[in-house]
Amino acid sequence: MKKIVSVIFLVFLTLGVVRAQEPTSAGYTPSSYYTFSWNTAFPIGNFHDWVSQPGPAGFDFGGRYLIRNGLTAGFNIGWQRVAKIYDNETFTIPDKGIAVTARNYRFTWMVPFQAVIAYHFIPQKVVSPYIGLGIGGDYMEHHLMIQEYDIYKTRWDFSLTPEIGILARFGAFSDWGAILAFNYKWTTNRIDLYEEESRDLQMLNIKVGIALTIR
Amino acid sequence: MKTKPGLLFLGLGLLLTLSCSKYPPSSERLLEDLAVITQYDTKIDFNNYHTFSMATSIVKITNRDTTNVSDATATAILDQISKNMEARGFVQAITPVVPDFGVQVVYFQNTTVYTYYYDWWGYYPFWYYYYPYYPVYYSSYTTGLANIELIDLKVVDPNKKQLYLRWNGYIRGLLTGDHTTAEILRCVDQAFIQTPQLKTTAN
Repeated sequence: MKKIVSVIFLVFLTLGVVRAQEPTSAGYTPSSYYTFSWNTAFPIGNFHDWVSQPGPAGFDFGGRYLIRNGLTAGFNIGWQRVAKIYDNETFTIPDKGIAVTARNYRFTWMVPFQAVIAYHFIPQKVVSPYIGLGIGGDYMEHHLMIQEYDIYKTRWDFSLTPEIGILARFGAFSDWGAILAFNYKWTTNRIDLYEEESRDLQMLNIKVGIALTIR
Repeated sequence: MKTKPGLLFLGLGLLLTLSCSKYPPSSERLLEDLAVITQYDTKIDFNNYHTFSMATSIVKITNRDTTNVSDATATAILDQISKNMEARGFVQAITPVVPDFGVQVVYFQNTTVYTYYYDWWGYYPFWYYYYPYYPVYYSSYTTGLANIELIDLKVVDPNKKQLYLRWNGYIRGLLTGDHTTAEILRCVDQAFIQTPQLKTTAN
């Protein structure tokens, strides 16, 4: 997994360096752009106790509209799943005196949706770094599968996602480009399917995708 | 230049497809391993109990009938339970001493009993009559379930003709794979391991 991310990152950096050689006086500032990204989530904190490995199954669709001077507003919607199989895991429900030992499949899938404000430092450039903040929510389903049983809970939440990223067009006049972003996501979601309740689920995300810019 | 978006789309699609691994269906999950589920009565102190008596056979309940099984596997399971009970400080009662606990194993075939997450801990009908009324979920799968039961013979309500169940351990999935006696005995041990509260210092 790390290897894949590293390769993509290197390719992306190379692309950025090559494009940086082009004249920057030419080109345009996009009035808006849309992105479609492959997303990998890394559960942290309490969420990591539930599923302790990254989830590469995810995608994100976003749109940004220039308000003024590099400031954009827009949206993000997506789908994401994190999952892990635990062999011979014992978990307990102490107040009920229950203990269960079995192979258990744990996974959470979610549909995030957020309004986003982002600031592009040099929006007219081919390589345009930005910082942003997403505010919104998620629909999450937490599943614990033991033998033929699927015990699950569904929850909606409120979420905040500060993000840094780079939008890189394939040329000064190209409508297409790539996006690479990294964000931290905090939610009010929780999991109470096992002995330790996981609250305020948090995760880190890496997004790699394609962007269509509109002049 | 136009090929770059296409390649990126293709790459993203491939990555997404590869990353979306699927879980096996429930019927396959059931075949994989045995599950050990235990529950004890959190309201009692096991230190108030000292002796126990073992059943000499396993009660087998199918959709058709109920029989007693006392073959080599049944004997091995009962012996393993005795060893674990003794390791926890309990002593086998010798007749005519009335034991504090009665221990029996009920084995269900083609059963659909499932008690994970049940809240109720109620009265138990006379243990040699039939299986108690637990809240259950039903499924269409055929599976086997061995239930080790620790029945309180010390606190008896003669008016209601009911006994209390203080601990039980379920070993689930027995009919679905080639599970050896050794595996089942490991599960018996696991049932005790995951209930450290089940021990006594009474003399």
